[in-house]
Amino acid sequence: MAADPKMRFLVVDDFSTMRRIVRNLLKELGFTNVDEAEDGAIALQKLQSGGFEFVVTDWNMPNMDGLTLLQTIRSTPNLRHLPVLMITAEAKKENIIAAAQAGASGYIVKPFTAGTLSEKLTKIFEKMGKV
Amino acid sequence: MAATNDSDDLEALFDSIAATSTVPSPVQVAPAPAQVPVHKGVSLEVGDNDELQELFDSLCVANSGAPGATVGEQDLIAKLGDQDSDSWPKQEVVFNQIGQMARSLHDTICGLGYDKLLEKTVSAIPDAKDRLAYVANLTEQAACRVLNATDVAVPIVDKLVDSTNTIADRWDLLFDNRLSVAEFKLLAEDTRRFLRQEIPQHTAVVHAQLTEIMMAQDFQDLTGQVIKKIGILTQELEGGLMKVLLQVVPETKRTEEVESLMNGPVINAEGRSDVVVNQEQVDDLLESLGF
Repeated sequence: MAADPKMRFLVVDDFSTMRRIVRNLLKELGFTNVDEAEDGAIALQKLQSGGFEFVVTDWNMPNMDGLTLLQTIRSTPNLRHLPVLMITAEAKKENIIAAAQAGASGYIVKPFTAGTLSEKLTKIFEKMGKV
Repeated sequence: MAATNDSDDLEALFDSIAATSTVPSPVQVAPAPAQVPVHKGVSLEVGDNDELQELFDSLCVANSGAPGATVGEQDLIAKLGDQDSDSWPKQEVVFNQIGQMARSLHDTICGLGYDKLLEKTVSAIPDAKDRLAYVANLTEQAACRVLNATDVAVPIVDKLVDSTNTIADRWDLLFDNRLSVAEFKLLAEDTRRFLRQEIPQHTAVVHAQLTEIMMAQDFQDLTGQVIKKIGILTQELEGGLMKVLLQVVPETKRTEEVESLMNGPVINAEGRSDVVVNQEQVDDLLESLGF
């Protein structure tokens, strides 16, 4: 993968198991600089404190859900450039459309594979490179 | 149907309401309406609630203008927008209506035989909740055990790969005739130690972790049983409640769907066109929309 291995990720999911899995998969792909947040509100706080370059988020979470987090990121000037990849069990077409319209950089439905994550990340990095 | 029992229950309920009222001189609750027959298919007209009516009336009278009304009651008075404590027409209407609704519902449910269903629901739901909590607990534990095991095993495998590569590189040098005899001897010794010690030692640890991962799946047997039980219970309750609903809900309300973006995993996608079933379909959809 062409991306910087030091790139700092924020993994947002209310289940610690899923956060661990995503963290491990990112490690497999060479990204070891990973922080975690258990809901959108905590994620936003961490993002505001700066230093993050990539957000991987679940949708259905307490306090602030992933879509709201995405919308907030896109409407916040110093965060709007962040790539946001959604990994969620929500599989209704209107969910996918809503996420895309809100500016999601990618959408992965659970259950997913390591291959899918790798593929989506590569795609997002390619797009980022072009911009 | 246990008609008299039902009436007794109802009476006890109203007694308790009357008892908790803080009116200075306690209301003399009307004598037992136990004689009120509650039959299957009982008429739900207002007229057959005479004794209940009396009960509510007496409650209302006792409350009207009560100087000892509690804060809560005064709140209620204010909320109902009736500041004049001498006349309580609105409250009376509300009390009466609620009483009649409660009575109608009670009679309907008993008449249809759903009281047993509700009784079962009341006891079954907390039990199902406990069982589901148990499932959540076991599956979480299993996930943690597996992740812990991989946390131990992965670095060991990585180390083995590193060691193997290092030794292979040295063997490549030998085949390129770039090793001295002394270096070759050392390589032979290192290789032997690697094969005899490092590999067995490390693979034993990895093997143990794989066994741990296998054993962590033992939750499936337990959760499977619990989930099956809850499935049967849910089916029974759904069937019963559906019958009640179909009898109560007006025709026009029956087809309304709840629209939400937070539905969780799709359990059964068969026959549904509003959901995707795999990542390919997600990608296709996004592509078709130009994303």
